[in-house]
Amino acid sequence: MMSNVTLEVNSVRKTIRKREIIKDINFTVRKGEVFGFLGPNGAGKTTTIRMLVGLIKPTAGSIRICGYDVKKDYKKAMQHLGCIVENPELYPFLSGWNNLLHFARMLPNVGEERMMEVVKLVGLEQRIHDTVKTYSLGMRQRLGIAQAMLNRPKLLILDEPTNGLDPAGIREMRQFIRMLAEEEGMSVLVSSHLLSEIQLLCDRVAIITKGEIVKVGTVSDLLSVQERMSWRVEPIELGKEVLRSLTEVMETEDGYVLTSFDEEETPKWNKALVKHGVKILEMNRRLPTLEDLFLELTDGGGAGIE
Amino acid sequence: MSRWRVRIVTVFSALLGLLWIGCLSWAIVDYYHGEASGVEDLSAQPIEKRPDEFIVVALGDSLTRGTGDETGKGYVGTVTEELEKKFDHPITVQNLGIKGLVSAQLAEQVQEREVKRQLQRADAILVTIGGNDLFQKGETLLNLDSTKVSKLQKNYLVHLDAILSTIRQNNSSAQLFMLGLYNPFIELDENGELNAIVRQWNNETAEVLAKYEDMVFVPTFDLFQLSVNEYLYSDKFHPNSAGYRLMAERIAPLIEWEAKDDE
Amino acid sequence: MSNLIQNEMMKLLAKKRLLIIGVIVAVLIILFTYAQYKQAEEQREKLGTDDWRTAVQQQIIDIQNRLSSSRMLDEWREQLQVTVKQQQYYLDHNINPSEPGAATFTRMFIENASSLFIPLLVMIVASDLVSSESSQGTIKLLLTRPVLRWKILMSKYITLLLSISIIVAMTGVLAYALSGVVFGYHGWNAPIITGFTVEAGNVDTSGVRLISQWQLLLMDFGLVWYIAVVVGTLAFMLSVLIRSTPAGMGIMLAALISGAILNNMVSSWESAKYFFMVNLQLTNYLSGVAPPIEGMTLLSSVLILFVWWLAALIVSFIVFIRKDVY
Repeated sequence: MMSNVTLEVNSVRKTIRKREIIKDINFTVRKGEVFGFLGPNGAGKTTTIRMLVGLIKPTAGSIRICGYDVKKDYKKAMQHLGCIVENPELYPFLSGWNNLLHFARMLPNVGEERMMEVVKLVGLEQRIHDTVKTYSLGMRQRLGIAQAMLNRPKLLILDEPTNGLDPAGIREMRQFIRMLAEEEGMSVLVSSHLLSEIQLLCDRVAIITKGEIVKVGTVSDLLSVQERMSWRVEPIELGKEVLRSLTEVMETEDGYVLTSFDEEETPKWNKALVKHGVKILEMNRRLPTLEDLFLELTDGGGAGIE
Repeated sequence: MSRWRVRIVTVFSALLGLLWIGCLSWAIVDYYHGEASGVEDLSAQPIEKRPDEFIVVALGDSLTRGTGDETGKGYVGTVTEELEKKFDHPITVQNLGIKGLVSAQLAEQVQEREVKRQLQRADAILVTIGGNDLFQKGETLLNLDSTKVSKLQKNYLVHLDAILSTIRQNNSSAQLFMLGLYNPFIELDENGELNAIVRQWNNETAEVLAKYEDMVFVPTFDLFQLSVNEYLYSDKFHPNSAGYRLMAERIAPLIEWEAKDDE
Repeated sequence: MSNLIQNEMMKLLAKKRLLIIGVIVAVLIILFTYAQYKQAEEQREKLGTDDWRTAVQQQIIDIQNRLSSSRMLDEWREQLQVTVKQQQYYLDHNINPSEPGAATFTRMFIENASSLFIPLLVMIVASDLVSSESSQGTIKLLLTRPVLRWKILMSKYITLLLSISIIVAMTGVLAYALSGVVFGYHGWNAPIITGFTVEAGNVDTSGVRLISQWQLLLMDFGLVWYIAVVVGTLAFMLSVLIRSTPAGMGIMLAALISGAILNNMVSSWESAKYFFMVNLQLTNYLSGVAPPIEGMTLLSSVLILFVWWLAALIVSFIVFIRKDVY
């Protein structure tokens, strides 16, 4: 039963100078899934991730990586972990290869063949012997992943992996992470403050705010509850009336009418509008903003949380 | 950068580290347990002297040192300059004067091996001594006591004789010039008591010098007799530059160089 | 562990820190050599001879004249008297206290560099070892490997010891090689008197003995290495405690310079001898210079430095193992 779980976080707390930064966090990450860790800046994402990788010691609770407690079995736990915390800060004065050599020397049984393998995996063969100073951010990111992969980790933790990359780089990174999960069967924990990214990348997600996890679930579950349909109609008053008779309606300040999103119902609403002679100028499926989501999850929208 | 370079540097520095640890323990052990073997006396070789060298050695007290002379030369410096002009040749000077020296201390100093060695090669020797014996930083003046003064003088003469004989033992040929005392307190000396003492002191000094060959007593009493304040430094004891110049001008003409150029 | 040390050495060499230190040392030595050469030349001109005895005699006379001036602090008077007595001893035994040659220059240089210059060079490496990883952010990679934290710190500390050994050796070799051009490559076997003990302004010559200069030189190097290790360890501790390298260096620099100043004025403040920076002039014990505070001995200084060293090391390890990395 445990073999399927690569990361297990149990009632982890962190108190700094009597202030509770992290309040009782629980979640698990399973084999082969990409797990999103979503929260605004300052919510405790980074602190939590640093506790997972052993940089910060939790005040209470336990963290197990592949069944090994990070506190008691530090070495074994770390052997199954690869991570990049924040930016991939490597030694700029060493070559890419020497950076890898540096980290390989700190791992058991990682030789030059494995180093060659990871270099190929991230596609840095051409530039691996240049000093890291000369690398672009994307190349540094890839080298960072290469070093994280050296020990064939079962769990890869990436903190804001697409931060600072250009759109092409972001797409490439996404594909790469999916590939790791699907083909190599790795668990990947990705943190982000961007909902869109989590939505595109992850299977499951935990939402954290103010040091607490407010929701853990599959991405589709979480988002479908929150997804909206936005309408621009003319005349607006009539359109609102028609839609209100069919579903719940809100109006935004810039003249859009919002309804819930429901694939089966939308065509019917559309038909009704047309029938009443309302012109539909625009209709859009709208992802909730992170703020909306948090508002929904923490305050008003008790209904959204099961 | 090759891995070998890193490895070589690492091993090399580790070996150095061991060496330094060894040296450290050696230093501490040696410091506390090293056997005191003493130091055997190596005899000094005489300093070689170039034939065309003229060497002046100056011995004595603050006058030799030049205290009071703003230019710092003292009479020794001026004498040297005069001689260099006269001989048209550079001169080597060893000024061994120490402020506050009394005859007893000079008698000890000339016994020092190195001082002896310096004396051995000297062509001319300049001496000022006795001022501190007599005046004792002005104390003698405050309570003039003839028995005390005669005791001081007796001691002084004994030391002077010892000094001169040591010099002669080490150097039989050098000309020696000894400056007499002047009376810096001449203006305070209303009844001439101190003047008499200084004159007598100088006479006795000249008597001792007369026992040796090529030793010249150079009086300075008269130089300062009439306008003492003009030639004294602000401490009213040591000469000023003008005073030193007077002294130097008296000695310089006396010094002759039996030139060895012809050798 | 050997892998970790090789990592640290690789980083150290890649950063070219030792090379920079080498250049600094070389420049300084060239300056000193020139100054020394000028001084010797001037002395020769002034004395009209290059006979060392004349020079030493003249030094003694000069000091005696300074001693005769009445307004002088007692402690200075004592120190000068000690110097006179030692010089006189050298002169009486016809031994040149500073035999010309590169070996003598090296000894003088290392003795003068022991309390400020070499510790300063060591600081360049020590202050940087841990705090640079913190400021670069690479500490996060270093501490998420399956290696216990104390091993990582130990590898860094051993690297520090290794670089200190190199720096000390490099200073010696450069001093000899560069000054030899001017002074000639000799003087290893010049006799040196050691074993003077100084107490209450008196020089006790009962324990003196003659050793060759190379022996004294090696002992000096051992002591200088020890000083460098202690200062390096303190800087290392600050490097663990403080994220920023310049701040750590600043603190160490202030301590070292205050030590140099204190040495000249603490003689009446006895408990100042427990400061590490007052105890850095170990080589003075060998050459018989009076310690800054009455009652200090080689052993007491070595022990006081040892206590500082141990405390710094313990603090470094405890803090490094326990601290949370943000």
